[in-house]
Amino acid sequence: MSIERLDTQTPDEVHEISQPTAVSLSTGREFVLEVSNFSVNYGTGDQMVRAVNDVSFSLRRSTVLGVAGESGSGKSTLVYAMTRLLRAPGIISGGVVNLNVTASDGAEDEILDLVTANEKELRRIRWSHVSIVLQSALSALDPVRRVGREFDEVLKTHRPDMKKAERRERAVTLLTMVGLEKDRLDRFPHELSGGQRQRIMIALALALDPELVIMDEPTTALDVVTQREIINELLDLRAQFNFAMIFITHDLSLLVELADEIVVMYAGAIVERALASELYEAPRHPYTLGLLNSFPPMSGDRRELTGIPGSPPDLSDLPVGCKFSPRCPYVMARCREEDPHLMTLKGSERSVACWLHAGDPDVRVPVELTRQVRTPNVHGGPS
Amino acid sequence: MSEFVSEPTRTPVQLSARNLTRHFTTRVPGRFFKEKHTVRAVDDVSLDLVAGHITAVVGESGSGKSVLARMLARIVKPTSGELYLEGQEIPINARRTLAYANKVQLVLQDPFASNNPVHRIRHSLERPLLIHGASKSDVDDLAKAALTRVSLDPPDRFLDRYPHELSGGQLQRVSIARALCVRPSVLLADEPISMLDVSVRLGILNLLKGLCDNEHLAVLYITHDIASARYIADETIVMYAGQVVERSRGTALVDEPTHPYTQLLIASVPNPADPTSQAAERTEHTTFAVADVGCRFAPRCPHVMDVCRKSDPPNFQVGEGHTSHCWLHASEPEAVVELTPPVRRREGETTKT
Repeated sequence: MSIERLDTQTPDEVHEISQPTAVSLSTGREFVLEVSNFSVNYGTGDQMVRAVNDVSFSLRRSTVLGVAGESGSGKSTLVYAMTRLLRAPGIISGGVVNLNVTASDGAEDEILDLVTANEKELRRIRWSHVSIVLQSALSALDPVRRVGREFDEVLKTHRPDMKKAERRERAVTLLTMVGLEKDRLDRFPHELSGGQRQRIMIALALALDPELVIMDEPTTALDVVTQREIINELLDLRAQFNFAMIFITHDLSLLVELADEIVVMYAGAIVERALASELYEAPRHPYTLGLLNSFPPMSGDRRELTGIPGSPPDLSDLPVGCKFSPRCPYVMARCREEDPHLMTLKGSERSVACWLHAGDPDVRVPVELTRQVRTPNVHGGPS
Repeated sequence: MSEFVSEPTRTPVQLSARNLTRHFTTRVPGRFFKEKHTVRAVDDVSLDLVAGHITAVVGESGSGKSVLARMLARIVKPTSGELYLEGQEIPINARRTLAYANKVQLVLQDPFASNNPVHRIRHSLERPLLIHGASKSDVDDLAKAALTRVSLDPPDRFLDRYPHELSGGQLQRVSIARALCVRPSVLLADEPISMLDVSVRLGILNLLKGLCDNEHLAVLYITHDIASARYIADETIVMYAGQVVERSRGTALVDEPTHPYTQLLIASVPNPADPTSQAAERTEHTTFAVADVGCRFAPRCPHVMDVCRKSDPPNFQVGEGHTSHCWLHASEPEAVVELTPPVRRREGETTKT
């Protein structure tokens, strides 16, 4: 869809992005994961609820994709389903999830569709190619086992030719990597603090040197000081080991600092996708703007902020048309009738699902949604 | 004990606490037997809750901020200290009276856990009204009025719903309405927004601010989110390990933090507007380290000095209504330590190092 109107309104819209748009699937080594038209339902028949609706995105090697959204936006369901960890009544109702599996010894890379993969194939890629860090480390770690046994078990299963001493050595290396003493291996999870447990989870996720690590709200239950330490740790580790990361959180300001690219989800669909700096400085979707305005600033004068009126949507009773229309301050008649799909903005790589940006000449785009990026590509973008 | 509380120029003080302290005794495995160990959850905290003012208490988990709120609500008995409601001293060892609950109400963190799931909203609102002496013919109107006060309009739509039919933000408004329906003068809000979605948090904060401004409620706002404290609070108190480490009026505490812990806290907040925040220093102390002797923050403090390990600092005045519990603000720290009496010990307190 062309967006002439937006273009004429903001003639100096410059997005300095050199990478080609990720439209064609399976372009080779550049991407580690490509998701297209992915949908997930809970339940069947009349009771059916669509938790993830037609989601497409791709993830370049060694980059961080942030997924932001409120509870019920489908962000966790998306990654659970993508990695085939979702249990009934969750059902994948369509789509393709292509994982680019790097072969170990010089062989040809292969592309595996996780949606159709069988248990044997999944077992091969899990942990060694894709690993996941869950929100609650206390419930993810076995309370009656010492931490060392968790490491031992992973290595025993996936690297059967490793000897016991080698496994222990690897576990110690991993702990050192995340800044923990090696005596923590002999502790039980309840003897460790929340931050230490989350570090153990990160070390476990990196045990087999995966290409993709998925983080589902890894710092939400932690204090800000601990959160900062873990985030710094993660950025260091990523620089060292070059894994790609999908980071899920409701804290958009954290993502702006951490991620290269951000997708914002609302009611199961992606409403905006942009580079982190673009999204922060020049949001295009009213929901993104509202979310950004929901964080009280740490400097400047105190002024009244409004947040977003109304309540997050109930997935079993979604409005007709745009799902955000009941809460949107810029709602138009068209929004209540037709649901906008994700459209790429002209002259840029970012996309947004909003009728304001659909190029309708009668629509005046509010000035706060046409802001320009002052410093393009702060984070260096994907490289 | 802070120096600037209860100045005569300030508006009426509704609830004030002086040197409020709560110690918990735990038994930890010793060499042969279990040994008694004292956890100083709240130590020597004084504060005034003023009508029309929001007082924010900021701290990490384990800093004692919730115990403080529970002591002010008189759910937890203080070990020592004094409590004054509208100038009247409250006997801290006596049971909480209905009259006290009528003046001081508590709102809890998780609205899904603090509202009875098997009763309608009407029940949650009418029950406190009946307990506090409203007549049966009035409760319906009073309950509706309470819902209107928290912007749940029209109230008829909400009264006969069950908690699971409301969203988190709406349910937290019901919790606030329930606290407000008995017309208290003090509202204690213990992390009222931390369980809510980002987009509805500001709504609750604005509601608290509005109640405070329009109805002259004294509000204690407990949070771990220092940005939200900066947004609504008239006075901000930072707690670490049961002690007040820094307090100030207005936004001075966030704009010019003077205590190393406050500085660490602020540097840790994700702040895309300030790229330097990403370069926050890496502390190696991952545990919630608390020193038994001297300043409690000393094991984690980047500016730690010898005096910090020996003796607990007093509160130094660093600005108008701004105090800092840190030796860095003493004119000559080494000289001061000579004058300070040895570290105070309470009866029955043992020290583990």
